[in-house]
Amino acid sequence: MGSQWKQSARKTGRQNSEFEELAWPLLPSLYNLAFWLSRSATDAEDLVQETFLKALRGFDTFEPDTNFKAWIFRILRNTYFTSKAGLAAKRTVALEDELNEGGESGPAQYPEAAIDRRTPEINLLQLEDRSALSAAMATLPPPLLEVILLCDVEEMKYREIAMTLEIPIGTVMSRIARARVALREALATQHGTSMGARA
Amino acid sequence: MTDHLAHEIVNALADGELTADQLANANNHLAECPACTSNALYQSLLKSATSRAGHRYTPPPQLRERLAFLATQTNSQLQQRGNRTAASLSRSVGRFGSLGWAAAAVLLFVSLSQVFIQRAAQKAETASAERAAQVTEVFDQHVATLADSQPLQVISTDRHTVKPWFQGKIPFSFNLPQSLPNDVTLEGANLTYLGNQPAAQLVYSIGKHRVSVFLRQRSRSAEASELPAENSGFHVMGFSTSVLDVIAVSDADPARLAELVTAVRQAQTGDQ
Repeated sequence: MGSQWKQSARKTGRQNSEFEELAWPLLPSLYNLAFWLSRSATDAEDLVQETFLKALRGFDTFEPDTNFKAWIFRILRNTYFTSKAGLAAKRTVALEDELNEGGESGPAQYPEAAIDRRTPEINLLQLEDRSALSAAMATLPPPLLEVILLCDVEEMKYREIAMTLEIPIGTVMSRIARARVALREALATQHGTSMGARA
Repeated sequence: MTDHLAHEIVNALADGELTADQLANANNHLAECPACTSNALYQSLLKSATSRAGHRYTPPPQLRERLAFLATQTNSQLQQRGNRTAASLSRSVGRFGSLGWAAAAVLLFVSLSQVFIQRAAQKAETASAERAAQVTEVFDQHVATLADSQPLQVISTDRHTVKPWFQGKIPFSFNLPQSLPNDVTLEGANLTYLGNQPAAQLVYSIGKHRVSVFLRQRSRSAEASELPAENSGFHVMGFSTSVLDVIAVSDADPARLAELVTAVRQAQTGDQ
């Protein structure tokens, strides 16, 4: 009987150290995504804490040699989207609105209208303005924001993003395309506003 | 040059997701198209700028400390639970010797039952995930159809034009309703793909609301009848025949949508 206890304790101990080895390095990324989604430091901390505990308790269901990052990010975003704030965000965003974010002629005229009217110098100036880009990202609805964060910030491959969000790769691709169009439009609007204000 | 690279291709180029063939084709196009070259450059710059701007929030030190403390607590709880399970198993094994083979058979039966239950649960979970993925895909494709920039591949109100258009394009056949409910019009159709399988997307309008009806060859795992009723404000309905899975999505009144779905179902079963 004693040996079984020791065996069980050893197994649990090994699992815990494995979990910590995999999870601790991801804490900054998890917190960053949580903050972007929840837009609040307190909510982000709560979200990360809940994610960590859920992942730790359910670690025996994680299949070794599969993608831990995708697994724990999936827990985080599922936790967010089932939270009060996440449900509210989901309710207020309809994908048809996302398509029309840039106005009636926004995404429809891409790429010509978005590119040819501005010089490369203006485009570069916009991208150098980090606060403007952050503000543009903050205007993205959660389904587009999360996909752009996973792709550009976390540098996940489309396949990993599809696993994390539990959507087909085709949907990942179309959401990334829509997110970037929306970012460009938001930057263009900001630029127009700031130029107008200076004039 | 009128044909530019699709949004997805330009983005996949920036994200390093193109296959060797796709990359070669894209490079050939870029060599001749200044607009797409400028676009691709901008996408790459946007990606790196987004990456920089996206690394914005760092966890406060107290969060790490709190998590470490909670992890220790949770670990000890899990360990205690594990010990209790081991002790109880050990006691069972002690009695097990005296009860003999009968108890062994019961234990074996219980273990096998658990395996079957777990497998069934896993199967149900997989099916549920597939259904969710299918609904997301259908929903996204319908929303794409709503955009003015996406004309239908075949535009016709005549079912005798729309149905033959699919001949040779899809590995199955279907019928369109002869008569439609009031204020319902066939607008046209698209050849599309659901779960990497070719599918027909019939587009109707109910008043001013567009409806997409997706038809594809029946899959073993996805039961269209178990679809969620609503997704982001759009109503989703479906049915399966022995050969087809059919899913309709629209923001029209659910009762009106149900009338159209019934008409499509009757067309497949010949009950018109």
